[in-house]
Amino acid sequence: MPIVCKNMEKITFPRIGNYTALLKIFLQEIGFEVVLPEKTTAKVIFEGSKNSPEMFCFPFKVNMGSYLSALEKGARKIFMVTASCGSCRLRYYAQVSQKILKEKDLPVEFIIFDQNFFDIIKKLNQLTKKSSLKILTLILLFLKEIRFIEKIERIGFFLRPREIDKGKTDKVLDEFFLKLEKINSLKELRKAKKDILEKLSQIPYEKKRVPVVGIVGEIYTVIDPEVNFHVERKLGELGLEVHRDLNLSYHLLKKIFFTDFFIQRKVSSYLKSTVGGHGRDAIFEMLKYSKKNFSGVVQLLPFSCMPEVTVRPILLKIHQKTGIPFLSLSFDEQTAQAGLETRLEAFADVVKNYFEKKEFK
Amino acid sequence: MKIGISRSLFYFKRPVFFEEFLKNLNCEIIFSPETNKLILEEGTKISDPETCYSIKVFFGHLLYLDKKCDYIFLPLLKKNEYGFEYCPKFFGLPDLAKNILKTKILSAFLEGDLEKFAFQIGKKLKKEKTKIKEAYLKALSSEREDGEKKFFSFREKMKSPLKKILLISHPYNLYDSFVNLRIKERLEKLNLQPLFLQDLPYEILREREIKSVPKFHWEFGEEMIKKLDFVLKEEKNIDGVIEISSFACGCDAVLKEYIEMMVKSFEIPFLYLILDEQTGEAGFQTRLEAFADSL
Repeated sequence: MPIVCKNMEKITFPRIGNYTALLKIFLQEIGFEVVLPEKTTAKVIFEGSKNSPEMFCFPFKVNMGSYLSALEKGARKIFMVTASCGSCRLRYYAQVSQKILKEKDLPVEFIIFDQNFFDIIKKLNQLTKKSSLKILTLILLFLKEIRFIEKIERIGFFLRPREIDKGKTDKVLDEFFLKLEKINSLKELRKAKKDILEKLSQIPYEKKRVPVVGIVGEIYTVIDPEVNFHVERKLGELGLEVHRDLNLSYHLLKKIFFTDFFIQRKVSSYLKSTVGGHGRDAIFEMLKYSKKNFSGVVQLLPFSCMPEVTVRPILLKIHQKTGIPFLSLSFDEQTAQAGLETRLEAFADVVKNYFEKKEFK
Repeated sequence: MKIGISRSLFYFKRPVFFEEFLKNLNCEIIFSPETNKLILEEGTKISDPETCYSIKVFFGHLLYLDKKCDYIFLPLLKKNEYGFEYCPKFFGLPDLAKNILKTKILSAFLEGDLEKFAFQIGKKLKKEKTKIKEAYLKALSSEREDGEKKFFSFREKMKSPLKKILLISHPYNLYDSFVNLRIKERLEKLNLQPLFLQDLPYEILREREIKSVPKFHWEFGEEMIKKLDFVLKEEKNIDGVIEISSFACGCDAVLKEYIEMMVKSFEIPFLYLILDEQTGEAGFQTRLEAFADSL
């Protein structure tokens, strides 16, 4: 068991897809007492959008909902990473939610991290009084585990359209992620990792070529399956393999290696400047997908997300130029499952046609 | 040489400067007409359905200018001279316009240095350096004159015996009377004195410090908050505040929270109106009348 610092208030953080459980383990390892944010259910979304500004973007409302439920469970501190250098609304997420919670008279303190490693280490150092070296090693370990989660997800993407008994992969994965939330130490995590890999390798599947669909879009909607209403899973069930490069590790590595300059050079015939957020990356990824052997691109965005909406006409232009099927889905608290499924089914038909035509050639 | 300027969006950020500068370079300027229903419809058809109302209007203006001139003037505004960023939707405008227009676009980056921007534009029009410099300085001085005039008229309006309503919004909503459904006339008819927050000069308010509000990196956010703070604390005799925002404006979602907080802390009535292409005039009028009664 990790040593929990005494007299420390319980903390919580915004939920971020399948990485949530990992983040919890990591923060516990550092020495915090963590309240795990609740799963993004309809209730969380409802509570969140009730207490958020009407025109704010969907991720904010989801975050708000998860804060509220965590505060009920006794959390007193909220960790939040914001983009202090970005151009979009993410920059004010922490301030606005702080203001709203303050107006509701909830006893809560925000600890706002910058999107840079030095700042994160410095602040964690001050909070826990642990040496920077230890925190740094833990962060590196955390990054390694992130890669593992992405690997599991990738195996899931591969298996879903190919599995022989339908739904087996999802069952195994669901079990794993549920188990992950109950794990409290790195040791148990190692055991669980071994276990899941073994289980996944036992799933029987057909060896066949299936159309591959690339996913682009806003980070939070792309990463979190609960926010995008399990689009990836639904696409898999429709017989399409999903490919996703815009993972958390992609964004973290981008921060370390400053690949923005390189990306800008690649997309400059379409877009001359950044539009904030990850608008530029969406174009870059779509160009990459259209050149490779992909049969479709899906863009996921929260309703009225500024960067993604700005680049959408450009993505449509690439779609017209290259002929690659393209679907743009925007999510908000009023998104209905049925409508989403109809659109995905229609899209899957288009993708399969496109794929067969290409194979035939 | 004919240059088209769309009378919407970025034009209202620096109306005098852009116009005077190009005029001083001996260019013939074609303005798009004031926004009308046709322009709005065309713009709505071509632009992304989720983008903000102002951008939809803007594309309508661009389509009007298409094929009517040699160049369409469409700068890429990134940062103003104080280092504050423009709306991120502005960053993609020239690239989006390129997709739908047949006319060439006259564009340059404005990244804090207005003089550099002017030289880039002048160079693209193949003008001499001395001439560009002259045109730039002239345009700058007439912009300053215009600013003083606006400030003077603001002061005059403050002295009026009628009840004073402060209108807060982006300049492209305030000065475009089609977009804001002639709110100025409507308020005057209700025996109120409308005041535009935008008429205040920013230069003299730069030093103000406001603790309760985070520092905005958007130039309009920074300006609005500081101007509002000035009006609320120094001018004092304001009877009501109306904020107008275009539907799906991402930045206003943040700003509104703080503007409302500031206004309410002075116990002044506050009305928030969202405009889009489907706003009905009758509903708008009713809300204004109800607001006028509450004063």
